[in-house]
Amino acid sequence: MERILRVNMADRTARFEPVPSSYKNRAGRWLTSSIVHDEVPATCHPLGPNNKVVFSPGIVTGTPAPTSSRISVGGKSPLTGGIKEANSGTGWGRRLARLGIRALVVEGQPQDGRFWLLKVDAKGAAFESADAWTGKKLSDVVPALAERFGGKDHVDVCSIGVAGERRMGAAGICFTDREGRPTRYAGRGGLGAVLGSKGLKAIVVNDSGAADVPIADKATFDAGRKKLAAALGEHAITKPKGALNTYGTAVLVNILNEAGGLPTRNFREGRFEGATKIAGEAIFAGNKERLGRELYNHPCSPGCIIACSNTWHRPDGSEHTSCIEYESDWAFGADCGISDLDQIAELNLLCNEYGLDTIEIGGTLAVAAEGGLWAFGDGKRAIELVHEIGKATPLGRILGNGAVVTGRAFGVPRVPHVKGQSMPAYEPRAVKGIGMTYAVSTMGADHTSGYTIAPEILGVSGKLDPLDSKKTELARNFQYATGFIDTTGHCLFIAFAILDIASGFEGVVEECSGVLGTKWTMDDVGRIGKAVLDLELDFNRKAGFTAVDDRLPEFMSREPLPPHNTVWDIADSEIDRVFAK
Amino acid sequence: MLHVHLYGKLRRFAADADPRSESIVDVPYCPADTVGSVVARLGVPVEELGSNLFVDGRYADLSSPVEDEARLGLFPDDMQLLYKWYFRPKAADQ
Repeated sequence: MERILRVNMADRTARFEPVPSSYKNRAGRWLTSSIVHDEVPATCHPLGPNNKVVFSPGIVTGTPAPTSSRISVGGKSPLTGGIKEANSGTGWGRRLARLGIRALVVEGQPQDGRFWLLKVDAKGAAFESADAWTGKKLSDVVPALAERFGGKDHVDVCSIGVAGERRMGAAGICFTDREGRPTRYAGRGGLGAVLGSKGLKAIVVNDSGAADVPIADKATFDAGRKKLAAALGEHAITKPKGALNTYGTAVLVNILNEAGGLPTRNFREGRFEGATKIAGEAIFAGNKERLGRELYNHPCSPGCIIACSNTWHRPDGSEHTSCIEYESDWAFGADCGISDLDQIAELNLLCNEYGLDTIEIGGTLAVAAEGGLWAFGDGKRAIELVHEIGKATPLGRILGNGAVVTGRAFGVPRVPHVKGQSMPAYEPRAVKGIGMTYAVSTMGADHTSGYTIAPEILGVSGKLDPLDSKKTELARNFQYATGFIDTTGHCLFIAFAILDIASGFEGVVEECSGVLGTKWTMDDVGRIGKAVLDLELDFNRKAGFTAVDDRLPEFMSREPLPPHNTVWDIADSEIDRVFAK
Repeated sequence: MLHVHLYGKLRRFAADADPRSESIVDVPYCPADTVGSVVARLGVPVEELGSNLFVDGRYADLSSPVEDEARLGLFPDDMQLLYKWYFRPKAADQ
């Protein structure tokens, strides 16, 4: 029977509960947002005792469904003050699902300021002191914990770094990748700080002896997973040696640069002169030169057949870091004016070591450069500044609390953010569809909340220009579809294939029906996505958000962005129609 | 003159095909040129192109007209990661 594991950090007790009937069929983001909505007072302090951190694997996570090892993490965000769901690819959630744990809820707060480890396995849950594991780089913590609790073939680890221990707003939650590297992140929104405020350093999950995830209707499930696997294996973006497997997500650097939408030097320009030196093609070529062979990317988590996660190697061929995602590459590259991949790799590595969100830190460094703290392009100085965060110096604590805090500290009015979360790697003045998503997302500026789903599939008719009168409907339906994908446990990147191959999307719905024993159809995609968003919007309203919070920074309406020399000119009334009752 | 920026496997049509640099081909402008006519003159097989085609940084397609001194950006079919509904195709302005 599937259960909820509830952990109270005030008295370090753990108990299992049945999943309430009201949460039937809910998992992933639908379940994390349900529990946060129902149990967390919307006006609570994000770092106080009343906030919670909720983990939930998706509906099909732990099954043989391809590319489905996502774990959703929810809570009230210290960056935005609103609800947050961040998700990551990792075997950790897969093991939780195999143990029959639909959700793990971390609540309460210790009074002694100490940190603890939580061990979860087939026997139950137990605590032990984490005194020996704090204040260290995650590469000195996570592999050792995995080894101690059963080895990486049986164990995955979730942990915060020093940034989370110090409750910094840019702290993410780190998970192990398929090889046990501490490199995958539920990065955004500062959930690492919330876990730090609970005194929970790490959660080790060992699924030895666990049964397979039950599948109610195996024939329907198998039919669905085969359709999805066929779509992923066939599509030029997701197939083996396709764009993502070869170049990783950083393939987008050249594309956004060509489109004039690659934010450069704190969103002052839309093209970066060093783009080709840092793009996915350059990563592939650089690795080939240093390794003497072609290196294709690897799966971040078990069962992924897209395999987009890259590694970057030093001149001597040793591994420097994994993974230089598009967003991280851009954040430390174009946004900081840095065109040296070795320096970008070092900044990425430091964020992995200290437990930081690369998007927030790249955006923060760019704001700090604007404030005169360092010069754009000076990669050595940028690296020193991230070490300040790791050492938790007063300057490091300012930077570690993100772009908005840093902008205030240094008197910088040009802070690209929405609702306190710094903006990802798409310039809204050049790519206005994503600007609409940033504005209305329940998560603050977030490119994943409404990125990729075919409007045709959702019944939005043909002409797909976000500047036409259908753009509000489009923005809304994008977010509903993403809410559904984040509920299934699939990686959002399956959308590249199911966007073009309709049978792939049908396959996803059939997989879910197969696991749950439901008769879902494509109509349920919008219904479930809407249910997720309605919960999140209601939480944010109760937290005090109004239409004024659904706005892009003022400077974007005033400063034309080269090369298109356009401003953000979507009317407030248009934005407000997206989720209007 | 038109300035065509090529990416991925299309770089082979440029003199400098190093993926860490700009692979640019300058093509003489002809009146009434479109993306498609320029692609044909370059000898790029249409089936190798994806939907991520740009004229002066604006989303375009093969029928989009180009003017002298335009910058074209051509990505192959295995790199079309940006979706067309984020952009107004240039042809739609006509």
